[in-house]
Amino acid sequence: MRWFFLILAIAVVATVYALGPRGEKFSETPFELFPDMDRQYKQKYQKPSQFFEDGKGARKPVAGTVPIGFKFPHAGNEGDLSSDLDYSAGDDYLNTGLFGDFYGQGFPETLEIDEDFLARGKERYQITCTPCHGDSGNGQGIVAKYWAIPPSANLIDERVSAMPEGQIFWTITHGKGLMGPYNGVVSVRDRWAIVAYVQALQAGSK
Amino acid sequence: MGNIFPRWTNLLAVKILICLGALGTCVIALAWYSWTPKYTRVGYMPQQPIPFDHSLHAGQLGMDCRYCHTFVENSPHSNVPSAQVCWNCHGPGKVKSDSPKLEPLRQALDENYEKYTGDPIRWVQLHKTPDYAYFDHSVHVNRGVSCVKCHGKVNEMPVVYHHESLSMSWCLDCHRNPEQALRPMDQITNLDWEPEDLEPDEFYAYLAGKTGKSADDLKKSDEGKEWNQELIGAHLQQAWNVHPPQDCAACHR
Repeated sequence: MRWFFLILAIAVVATVYALGPRGEKFSETPFELFPDMDRQYKQKYQKPSQFFEDGKGARKPVAGTVPIGFKFPHAGNEGDLSSDLDYSAGDDYLNTGLFGDFYGQGFPETLEIDEDFLARGKERYQITCTPCHGDSGNGQGIVAKYWAIPPSANLIDERVSAMPEGQIFWTITHGKGLMGPYNGVVSVRDRWAIVAYVQALQAGSK
Repeated sequence: MGNIFPRWTNLLAVKILICLGALGTCVIALAWYSWTPKYTRVGYMPQQPIPFDHSLHAGQLGMDCRYCHTFVENSPHSNVPSAQVCWNCHGPGKVKSDSPKLEPLRQALDENYEKYTGDPIRWVQLHKTPDYAYFDHSVHVNRGVSCVKCHGKVNEMPVVYHHESLSMSWCLDCHRNPEQALRPMDQITNLDWEPEDLEPDEFYAYLAGKTGKSADDLKKSDEGKEWNQELIGAHLQQAWNVHPPQDCAACHR
């Protein structure tokens, strides 16, 4: 019995030493005793797929089909957004900022420009634009403070203040110079809200 | 007839029981301590294909979580940014674009790069709920639960690690007492927010607007109470009518 407890004590010390306390940092994939239902064979967000030949999990609609609830930009609903999460679709002014080959002046009629819209624009501006253009829009964001790369545009100078709304919208959508396109991450409605807020910044700087 | 069993066997059964008991206790203690996400998951710190430093981007540079995790407010899944989002700042001629750490980014996007493959960056997912638990990010961040509550102070982590256990009892702790998590909606991505940062007068005015009660009455009813998370959370819970579901079907469909 003495031997048993001696061996047990050694085993306990060895196990505790090997396992370590809770919360210790480790980089191996966490241990799972019964992973069966925890890890099901189904398609999850942003994961590849072994089912499809190209390995992509995120699928586009099959050619010739329309998802339920989806509005075609050309089917008589130009100038309308199916939700606040439309990212770009049609070739109308709302989606492009352009009338034909020219930048449009003014905001699309379907958008209501009120206090909430501006507040939304402020929030989105501070998330997305501040790192380069700065909180006040003067082009002196955190990037300009740390890195010597060509400066970001000063949004409150006369050049940008003179721009029509459509041109600012188009620039957010497609980028310009070193600026990348933001049409994949900022929705159409939010882009117009940012345009409104940028104009508020311009008005406030005078 | 002599003794078949020698004298030392008299206590053998008792000794075996004691030994088995001791062994059993140790095994149970081991399982209790280590067979739980508090042990198996907390502290998980995998190496990522690009050593993205959250303490630099979200901490020092003060970037908002939503610059990269763009759809967290609209989707159950908080997305990992596409390579294009990295490219916005780290593209050619921009910040640190030649850094060898960004090799996988250039392989994914830079068509002029000799080692261009077009393969996406394979970030390693740390936080995984089981596939039968349907966690929805958007309902939480749109109802006053901050990122920090489940992910820890990511803005101070050079390498992100699993901070909370994400076990079911841990979820229920908060669903039963939501006041310990709720904060004003404009502070969701401010991971350093403290209850002291909130201006009481502004807060009561906001509550008055939400609930229709007078700000002075609300303030008077709180007199002598300590200004802390529970107080603020309880007010917000009432104002927003927050009733976190506790039934199985809330998370398990």
